[in-house]
Amino acid sequence: MNVLHIHWIPTQTEDFVQPGKFYLWVETDPVPGRKSPGLHPSHLRKEALAEFLQINFSIKADGFNRKLAESMVRQSIFLPALNEKPLPSLELLSRSADEDAGEPGNLASWQIDSYPLDAPIRSVREIHFLASYQSDEIVLGRDFLFWSYFTQSLRQVILKDQYIPVLLYRDTKSRAQPKRYEFYPAWQIQSERYEKLIRDAVGWIPPACANGFDKESLLRHCGEVLIGESLRALNKKLPASFIKQVKDSALEVFCSESGIKPSSGSGLEAVRQWHGWRQKLTGKQDEAGFHLCFQLNEATPDHADSWSLQFQVTSRKDLSYKVDLADYWRMNHTERSRIENQLGPDFEKHLLLLFGSAARSYPSLWSGLECEQPTGLPLTLNEAFDFLKESAWILEDAGFRVIVPAWWTPQGRRRAKIRLRSAGGSRGTVQGPGTAGLSIQALLDYRYELSIGNEPINREEWSQLVEAKTSLVHFRGQWMELDRDKMQAMLTFWQEHGEEGGRISIADLVKKLAEENDTFEVDPEDSLNGMLSKLNDPSRMEVVENPKQLRAELRDYQKRGVSWLLFLENLGLNGCLADDMGLGKTVQVIARLSVEKSEGKSDTPTLLIAPTSVIGNWQKEIERFAPYLNSLIHHGSGREQDPEAFQQHCSAQDMVITSYPLIRMDAKLFNLIEWQRIVLDEAQNIKNPKADQTRAILRLKAKHRLALTGTPVENRLLDLWSIFNFLNPGYLGNPSQFRKNFEIPIQRDHAPLPSITLKKLVEPFILRRLKTDRNIIRDLPDKVENKQYCNLTKEQASLYEAVVDDVAKRLDASEGIERQGLMLSTLMKLKQICNHPMQFLQDGSAFTPKRSHKLERVIEMLEEVISEGDSVLVFTQFTEIGENLTNLLKRVHRWNSYYLHGGTSRSKRERMIAEFQSPDTEASIFILSVKAGGVGITLTKGNHVFHFDRWWNPAVEDQATDRAFRIGQQKNVFVHKFVTLGTIEERIDKMIEDKKTIAQSIVGNDESWLTRLDNDTFKQLIKLNKQNVVD
Amino acid sequence: MNRFTKTWWGQRFIEALESFTGAGRLQRGRSYAGNDRIKKWQIIGGLVKAEVRGNVNPYFGVYQEPTYRTSMQLKAISATHWNNLIKIMSSRAGLIAKLMTNEMPETIEKAFVQSKVQLLPENSRDFDVRCSCPDYEVPCKHVAGLCYRLASQLDRDPFLLFELRGLSRQKLQEALAKSALGQILATTLGDQSDLPSATDSYYTRPKAAKVPDTIDPKAFWTGEKPLPKEIEAANPNRIAAVLIKKGGDYPAFWDKQSSFIFVMEEFYERVRKGAQI
Repeated sequence: MNVLHIHWIPTQTEDFVQPGKFYLWVETDPVPGRKSPGLHPSHLRKEALAEFLQINFSIKADGFNRKLAESMVRQSIFLPALNEKPLPSLELLSRSADEDAGEPGNLASWQIDSYPLDAPIRSVREIHFLASYQSDEIVLGRDFLFWSYFTQSLRQVILKDQYIPVLLYRDTKSRAQPKRYEFYPAWQIQSERYEKLIRDAVGWIPPACANGFDKESLLRHCGEVLIGESLRALNKKLPASFIKQVKDSALEVFCSESGIKPSSGSGLEAVRQWHGWRQKLTGKQDEAGFHLCFQLNEATPDHADSWSLQFQVTSRKDLSYKVDLADYWRMNHTERSRIENQLGPDFEKHLLLLFGSAARSYPSLWSGLECEQPTGLPLTLNEAFDFLKESAWILEDAGFRVIVPAWWTPQGRRRAKIRLRSAGGSRGTVQGPGTAGLSIQALLDYRYELSIGNEPINREEWSQLVEAKTSLVHFRGQWMELDRDKMQAMLTFWQEHGEEGGRISIADLVKKLAEENDTFEVDPEDSLNGMLSKLNDPSRMEVVENPKQLRAELRDYQKRGVSWLLFLENLGLNGCLADDMGLGKTVQVIARLSVEKSEGKSDTPTLLIAPTSVIGNWQKEIERFAPYLNSLIHHGSGREQDPEAFQQHCSAQDMVITSYPLIRMDAKLFNLIEWQRIVLDEAQNIKNPKADQTRAILRLKAKHRLALTGTPVENRLLDLWSIFNFLNPGYLGNPSQFRKNFEIPIQRDHAPLPSITLKKLVEPFILRRLKTDRNIIRDLPDKVENKQYCNLTKEQASLYEAVVDDVAKRLDASEGIERQGLMLSTLMKLKQICNHPMQFLQDGSAFTPKRSHKLERVIEMLEEVISEGDSVLVFTQFTEIGENLTNLLKRVHRWNSYYLHGGTSRSKRERMIAEFQSPDTEASIFILSVKAGGVGITLTKGNHVFHFDRWWNPAVEDQATDRAFRIGQQKNVFVHKFVTLGTIEERIDKMIEDKKTIAQSIVGNDESWLTRLDNDTFKQLIKLNKQNVVD
Repeated sequence: MNRFTKTWWGQRFIEALESFTGAGRLQRGRSYAGNDRIKKWQIIGGLVKAEVRGNVNPYFGVYQEPTYRTSMQLKAISATHWNNLIKIMSSRAGLIAKLMTNEMPETIEKAFVQSKVQLLPENSRDFDVRCSCPDYEVPCKHVAGLCYRLASQLDRDPFLLFELRGLSRQKLQEALAKSALGQILATTLGDQSDLPSATDSYYTRPKAAKVPDTIDPKAFWTGEKPLPKEIEAANPNRIAAVLIKKGGDYPAFWDKQSSFIFVMEEFYERVRKGAQI
């Protein structure tokens, strides 16, 4: 593994100008041996670093160095070390299985080869962005992540023009010439936001980044150098026309290409001037106990120039306390002094100072102040427009309150748009030609209209507006802004296309409205709009009845989910159900199929493609909730291979369940059928568009398509694109268009607009309910229990069978304590096998998810939980599982995890708990042995509880679950119990569920009640049902 | 604009001087405005007195470096008028607000019109200038130098104009104190912009901090608080150069006729588009 680190290293100098640079270096896995004193033993040396950067990040040598390796610089940095070796950083440490690897080390200075970054703000962003495309073997260190956040936040200073030129002076203080001054032009950051960033960053910065410096001064140094250098680097690109404008002015030295130099021709007087100017920008408004407000009052249509600005003040303490200045001046002395209580002392003095500073930003204001008691200012129409367009923003930014008429606000603004209406009467015609294709594309007939503020408008009126001479017009009872150029363009468009109208698919319509939101709208009265608003807000959907045959009572949000599926499919659209884990996506799909079956609407089955680890769960849930649905699992070596027979088997089914890899392997079979619907469970499995598996899935034919996922897919753009490529091919463009239009601007440049557009594009097709939504919480009990059923792998099955055969022979021959012992040890062995073959074999073989579907499923679900930012408790009875699982999570997945077992010391236990519970700790996994973690521990940060294996005693399990579910828990707790199908686990689970069979009293404190069963019952109990084996 | 004054009132003062001074004297006068020539100067009761270092000039019979006594006085406004004027000023919030920001309001002359007096000098009738130098022409270059010097002083201190017109600072404060608005101005008089202190380093200098002897890797690689997950979207402002627009246009250091704000707007825009960030 390679871990990318960067260090901000100030140049070592006492000079007046002390620059600094970012140096990038790459840490590698520790290598034994190879030591040279002081040199970091496991990092990429200059040749290797150059090669690494060239290959992975396309970094090339600059003009001066023919080879990139020549650009590398040796730097020294502080790192903690043990036994004269630097300790690996956390990313590497988490792979280390050694429990004591987190022990403290001595801080010492180490030498590393590093690459100095040019244009660091941009370079850091690009490397960060590109690193997410690299293999998991390239990881960004925490120091990199911190500096990345810090440098990217600095961009705001530049994008918001929050820096100003200033003139610094320096007393060179030589003995020969005391009071000899040098004057330097400098860019100074002047920003509240920046000051907050510095304050916050002092808390965020890891000691590794501070590298022996005081945090705040280092951060300020970095911020000032980066901003200053970014600005000065631009001077080379300033065109002659601009240089001419600043020639012979005080700004000329700021635009010089010659770097930082003292400027001649300045003096202390100039410093005073610059300083005085700067003080005007900073202002002293916070001293006043109130805000000065400017309220724009609109003119009546007959007197278009009778606008006015009204002066008001509001209390800082209580924003609802507002006084009109006109009222204030009318008050007598006592009334005024009462007001001072609300608005703070020296009211009139502060008022005047504020007026003075406001008038500097908005010079027209002076004319409103030509009296003793200013109350307001009349404005002409043009002045009012200028105020709205610009001055209001400046005043607001300068800390004044500005109140504008509602029609100017984004919500209240009327816009000129081209409107789409469904053609042929007021009802929309939705046609769904059942042509055999990828999916049904319902087509809408529509025509265009011109509209303003949701009202249709004819061409004459429109033309009149376009020809109006003012920018604000009074139109149909209200003022509005005119953008004549845009309106002219719309008129032209309408003249070209207006009469004809056309046909459009709903997906294309949604796309048009998302991408050209400023130009197009849908008639709100039109049925089209009703449909679109349901798409955009599923809570408006009528809720279906609970399907009659379904043996489950759907929760309200689940009913809405089923309605949503129905609604989309009726429109010929394909969606993605992305509810949080634990909210029951499976049951919603089963309900959808139940409705379909009762309506007798499908000729062919639904094809469900799922990861192998959940196939059993699907089957089990169908059995439980909808036994009337015929389902077939197409999996394993015994699966049907004959095309004709396959078709025949399928025709009798409502659902065919298979796994991802088989789609490609048995493509010939699957392509024979035009499926009623393809459902992708854990749809992020198709995220690689080039994989054969993905291509095979895209080739399948079906009427409907549905994707299921529990990961927050909106934030993972690649997953999102892939899922949409399955649902609505072409909707988000091809991969390179998508990358250009969305991925790079959103993920690299953090641009807000494309992400809004993307959200509008995908939102109608994704239903994602979070377990934290208030509506959902209302529907949920505090504790939600789910069973997760998984199959045995072939390896597990053969081990299991061998144990069962063996015990069957020996059971009849034994009696008393021996018999009891045999039964208990058998139970133990079978549990071990259900967990993982390695646990049973005790042979040190690999603890891989491949060998156990249960482990595979646990890992998949943990990933989902962690990606949602939740923490989780995992209970197991076995230390082997605890240890191996901890290693796997740390080493392979690099999740923050803790393991508490019987041997954990008390102090360590307390430290782990405190760390896990701390709100500052990232989402983590806490693994506990049932016995060690059973009592007296509060772990309320975990809102998911996994029972990896079962303690055949509900009381013990509940007690464990209560670690999370106790006082202090703010969230719903999701309990997931893992049960292997066709084994003792499934059968005992059923017995416990079925309280008639086993009274609570029989079930004691342990599992010994099982030994009271007679031999045949016991054999039945442990028997393996081979149908449930899936490889 | 010239290099001595950037304010409109300083400019008007200079224009009045220039209306009755010969071009040659003016030009030479400009080099007499600095500290190397004006050895000391003071204002007593509206009279500006200075000692100016002259040149050796055999033509005029000056063989040793001379020091001339130069003085300048503006026509005083009478006390009764002043009382009246201050009353008018104190009734205009805008005038007071602007004066509080240490600027002479453009509309101040309007307030003086009623009393038929002027605050700003207009021509030779407003000036009484003297110099001990042998130059036969009045005003001489020494007077011109002193006036240029005064103009730049006026930029920084517009209240000096009241003093030159015969109203001492003390009296100004007393008169202002009589009205509510004036009282407010009186309390802020004298708040001058100071010289900032000299800087020791161009950028904030990173200070060394003591590193602990031992540290565990987790504490070493993580901050005290967790880093936020999402970086805030990079939203440019809707209006360019909002910050500097708060300072108004034509700041004191800006010598050009063209708008400072306009130039800065273009600069900011170029940066937003072109900077490698």
